[in-house]
Amino acid sequence: MSTSRKVLALHLGVLAALFLLQFVLPAYHHTNAARIMVLAAYAAGYNVLLGYTGLMSLGHAMFFAAGMYGAGLPVYYLGLGAPAAFGIGIAAGTALALVFGLMALRTSGPSFLIVSMMFGQALYLATLYFNDVTLGDQGFIVSDKLAPLALGDAALGFHEPAVKYNLALLLFAASLAATLALRLSAIGRVLVGIRGNEERTRLLGYDSFRYKLGSLAVSGALSAAAGAGYALLFSYVGSTFASILFSIYPLLWALLGGIGTILGPLVGTALMFYLVDTVSGVTSSYLLFVGAALVALILWFPQGILGTLRNRWLPWLP
Amino acid sequence: MSFGPHLFLALLEGTVSAFVLALIALGLSLVFGVMRIVNVAHGEFYMLGAVLAWVCADAVGTPVAGFMIALVAAPLAVGALALAADRWVLRRIDYHPESTIVATIGLLYMIQQAVLMLYGPDARPVTPPVYFVVQFPWFGYSGYKLVVAGVSALLLVATWLLVTRTRLGLYMRAAQQDLEMAQAFGVPARRVYALVFTLGAMLAAAAGVLIVPIEQAHYLMGLDPLLLSFIVVIIGGLGSLRGTLVAAFAVGLSDGIVSVFFSPTLAKIVATLLVAAVLVVRPGGLFGEERA
Amino acid sequence: MAAVAPILATQSLTRRFGGLTAVDAVSLEVGRGEIRAIIGPNGAGKTTLVGMICGRHEPSSGRILYDGRDITRLRPWQRLRLGIVYTFQVTSIYRGLTCYENVALPAQRGLMQGFAARFAPGEAKVAERVRAALEAVGLAGFEVQRADELAYGHQRLLEIAMALAAEPRLLILDEPTQGLAEGEIAALCELVRRIARAATVLVIEHNMQVVLELAERVTVMDAGAILAEGTPAEVERHPDVQRAYLGR
Repeated sequence: MSTSRKVLALHLGVLAALFLLQFVLPAYHHTNAARIMVLAAYAAGYNVLLGYTGLMSLGHAMFFAAGMYGAGLPVYYLGLGAPAAFGIGIAAGTALALVFGLMALRTSGPSFLIVSMMFGQALYLATLYFNDVTLGDQGFIVSDKLAPLALGDAALGFHEPAVKYNLALLLFAASLAATLALRLSAIGRVLVGIRGNEERTRLLGYDSFRYKLGSLAVSGALSAAAGAGYALLFSYVGSTFASILFSIYPLLWALLGGIGTILGPLVGTALMFYLVDTVSGVTSSYLLFVGAALVALILWFPQGILGTLRNRWLPWLP
Repeated sequence: MSFGPHLFLALLEGTVSAFVLALIALGLSLVFGVMRIVNVAHGEFYMLGAVLAWVCADAVGTPVAGFMIALVAAPLAVGALALAADRWVLRRIDYHPESTIVATIGLLYMIQQAVLMLYGPDARPVTPPVYFVVQFPWFGYSGYKLVVAGVSALLLVATWLLVTRTRLGLYMRAAQQDLEMAQAFGVPARRVYALVFTLGAMLAAAAGVLIVPIEQAHYLMGLDPLLLSFIVVIIGGLGSLRGTLVAAFAVGLSDGIVSVFFSPTLAKIVATLLVAAVLVVRPGGLFGEERA
Repeated sequence: MAAVAPILATQSLTRRFGGLTAVDAVSLEVGRGEIRAIIGPNGAGKTTLVGMICGRHEPSSGRILYDGRDITRLRPWQRLRLGIVYTFQVTSIYRGLTCYENVALPAQRGLMQGFAARFAPGEAKVAERVRAALEAVGLAGFEVQRADELAYGHQRLLEIAMALAAEPRLLILDEPTQGLAEGEIAALCELVRRIARAATVLVIEHNMQVVLELAERVTVMDAGAILAEGTPAEVERHPDVQRAYLGR
């Protein structure tokens, strides 16, 4: 089988497996799986910037939050329908990414990292400061304001597990398709070149600033889509999703799954979700485990699961 | 209190924060300047200084003795931790920039949570070693805060002398300019890196000890100074000591003033916007040496 | 003979770093289809000079004319699209990628005209160009090899294949023979001669044998300025050159 057929088969297979999974999972894991898929879309968005363009950000929660509040606020205050709210969420995240990129991408790597962290924190503080609108830390619920999705004759209520799961799957599938298409495209090649050696890539005919900005926009859009999806599917919108910890999670998930691989984010998110879940059952200081995991990964397992797999046995894995 | 005196109060507050911020940011800037890495756990060294100061004060009992001991013991202890982190983690990943970020984030959470588990979630006060009031016509101002500013200034000067007058300082500046060249001339890079990282941590810890009688020791107190230090080094330019000091005063003063007149939260948001403004005009910071 | 405009002309090109003048008011002209060698001791400013020509460095003063057009303000990628291609002194290939991917990056550039073509320039056409470039340098069949698994000599060839795939009209080679074995050097000279049939070549070299064999004209630099210019034989006999560089 040719490489491109193998790649297509693998990714379609993963999606099919995820689809079938909903019929065998018990209720608790059912919702978890939906959550994991939405968060994996967030990690996939993060991976576009880090894994394929080589830019590390510590403020990605701002894009997730932009999507979350961008979708949640119109529903809560205006009773807007889900599709429109989702669109606004993505638009908000993309716009933020573009503005941020125009300002921050001209600085060097370490500066970019620090600036992203600062802006992420500023947005988090803003959600707390404008308490009257955002209801800050406490957050708000959208489920009672959210009209069911109209599909032909059927009305799909967002509280129904099947609706949650399949919409989450749809979101993840879209992010998978987007990242895979990007990776395999000519633009994807340029991004990988920028990650490997930016100056060389510029001298080979590419305006690296424009490509980095584009990559940041896509990354922001995907993260915002995940945020908007999360708000609509799981109903809760709150400041915690804009905090620094929430910017560090996608880094952790992508690292564990394999930075620079397409399926890595899914693997990393799923594994970490259950690891944290298990550890939280034992102690409330599960963040100690998170910290230790980061150190251990970077010391002994920097390629992550799929990265190692790709290095040793499957060189064709995108 | 009318506006004038209120402003004067804000300036005093701002000056004190500026000195302490300068101490913290200096540590961060030295580490980046010489080692080319960003230590995201830097704020936790500050927090550890404060917490260990509380532990000392609690153990010893008398405020003055406890504080003096803390001023020596806490930075030493934190320095030892930093040395260990350098030896067991940073050196193993060869000070690779991205890997160091990830590793120091991990260290941040490990230190923070360890303190939570051992010290608890409460904010605990420490009695200041000296207590006197400087009486201005409009208000009385805490004499200890002025002492903090003074001691910070001393430490800043001491560090400046270390960097410009000692052999270690010479090695540091050589390594910052051109590491390969420095090594060719016999500068022991690894040892210099270990010492610089330790020094940075000790400066942060000292700041923590100084601040704890004013603020309380709390396991989450490292985040705000970290972000403020980040703002300082971005505005001042990563790697420029002079820039760090100037920016620390600009940021410290403005943060102090906005905090007094409005709110600390707004102050942070304003500071971030300030950074954005600087970056639009000068991507390298005000005094920055931009490394490609 | 009718005067044909030179493909490249610099006018008083200067580059200062702080207090140091790396390139001092250099004015040179390179004719179309010429093979020009730039020689000089270390620190003479050769790499900085060509760095300004390809866009890596901004000149402190002076102008660069390419095909009669002032390109001094153009960015590096814009110059590449005009046909100015630079290969690095220290091998600058993409280590973790295959040879195919290394060459595909410059190869696809020419095909990415227009909005749709940016996303999908046509992989078959890209593959064709990659194959042609690898064959031209003698690396046919190395497509799936990882670049960092290649022998040093082959890595240098890969770098040239990448340059070829970028469709150069002015190819700048910065010390291409450094670290190569005898036989590899000879093969490289053959390759450069073939390339020069369709493009102008500017070569920075320390290996005098190569210079004497390849170059039609030689520019000698020292301390940032041009010391002498002429045919290899003329330059070899030049008293200043002998004193400063050849050590006689």
